[in-house]
Amino acid sequence: MRPPVLLLTTLLGILLALSGAPAGAEYGDVVLNKRAEKEGVRPVVFPHWFHRIRFRCKVCHNELEFKMRAGANDVLMADILDGKFCGMCHNGRIAWGPENCDLCHSGKPGLPTGILGGHGTSGPGRW
Amino acid sequence: MKTNPIILAGIIFGVLTGSAMTAEPSRGKAVYESNCIACHGTGVAGAPKVGDSGRWSVRIKSGMAALYASAIKGKSAMPPKGGNPALSDDDIRATVDYMVAQSGAGKPSPAASTAKPAAAKGAAPVEKAEISRPDPVGAAVTTAAPLVPPAMAASEVNRFNRLLMPVGRRHPPPAEDGIHDPSNDATHVLQPPLDAYTGFPPGPAGNGVDWVKTLEQGKIKPRYDRKDPNAAPVVMDLNIVREVKGSMPDVVYPHKQHTEWLDCSNCHPAIFIPQKGANQISMAQILLGQKCGVCHGKVAFPVSECRLCHSKKKPMGVAQTGKN
Repeated sequence: MRPPVLLLTTLLGILLALSGAPAGAEYGDVVLNKRAEKEGVRPVVFPHWFHRIRFRCKVCHNELEFKMRAGANDVLMADILDGKFCGMCHNGRIAWGPENCDLCHSGKPGLPTGILGGHGTSGPGRW
Repeated sequence: MKTNPIILAGIIFGVLTGSAMTAEPSRGKAVYESNCIACHGTGVAGAPKVGDSGRWSVRIKSGMAALYASAIKGKSAMPPKGGNPALSDDDIRATVDYMVAQSGAGKPSPAASTAKPAAAKGAAPVEKAEISRPDPVGAAVTTAAPLVPPAMAASEVNRFNRLLMPVGRRHPPPAEDGIHDPSNDATHVLQPPLDAYTGFPPGPAGNGVDWVKTLEQGKIKPRYDRKDPNAAPVVMDLNIVREVKGSMPDVVYPHKQHTEWLDCSNCHPAIFIPQKGANQISMAQILLGQKCGVCHGKVAFPVSECRLCHSKKKPMGVAQTGKN
């Protein structure tokens, strides 16, 4: 009785592990999780592709003072509510407001801070 | 036969929780109709509608145990036990089973529900229940059948090879991209990348979009100023040629395409000193995310597209022919 059960369990485990593997973040997706999970919310996923359709790089990386290095920006919810960083646009006037928590805080728990989808693959760099 | 896995899941969880009670589908139906239908029948407040197999299947993926837990403890807009604390945990489980069965999103996934008990020590009775079942199309068979094919399907054999990712899986919608939480209702509201890219000139790498052409052709009109939609970028049309060692073509750096998107201060003087000959650049630095690699390889096209930068052919020495 034991071996088939063990085999079954192993297969189930493999299937679960596979289904949980990241299929592929979109190129340029940034995960912000320096504080989010410690504060009890999901990590933030910032999609570069979505924003560059609407704004040139310069708007966020100059006017909004986002440094061009993942993890270099200390973005606090308090700042956003004060109209800094994301809150410069996500204020209900230019874009929807910060009351829509789950639209940004939509990442899987446990994601590390950083830029994902590099080199069009789900792995680390191609090189 | 159809209800077999449901009943089985009920038995398993009954055993798990130390209760001998079996979840009854009829009880689930009654609880659903008296408590849950208000939201889950209509889909208000982001509740997954019963019958919406798409939204239920993503929830089932995370396992029936997780589904039971969110129903009992509550989740985002859903109050604990659907707002009726008089219901027992078993009632809730029976109701979840009923709703899952009604949503046609596959039966309560045996994969998710049996994994734990089989791994745990106290699961012996469950295993016996599974194995000793005489019915040939019973639990053990129905459990194993959907498991093996996905691991062996012909389209999956190269799945481990991320450089050969099939086209269909390159820009998955948020709920399937592996970084968004599919159990978050708002994840399903987010725009899938491919919806946005429709009509954009295709590119070889990155997002699969040639962003420079997309902008040139006016397919997108990204603002240059946060507030003023009509502000025009200060475009500087100046090509910088950088001679490189070896046989690689020289690099032509076009200010034009860069200033369409960026401000001078994004690159100067922190990343590049604005002075001829003052910047040492190597591919190694770029691959480590410095110099051009601050953007290229992260949001701008990656370094795999050698010839987009190394684009100026240089006069090559004629190979020795042995005649002179």
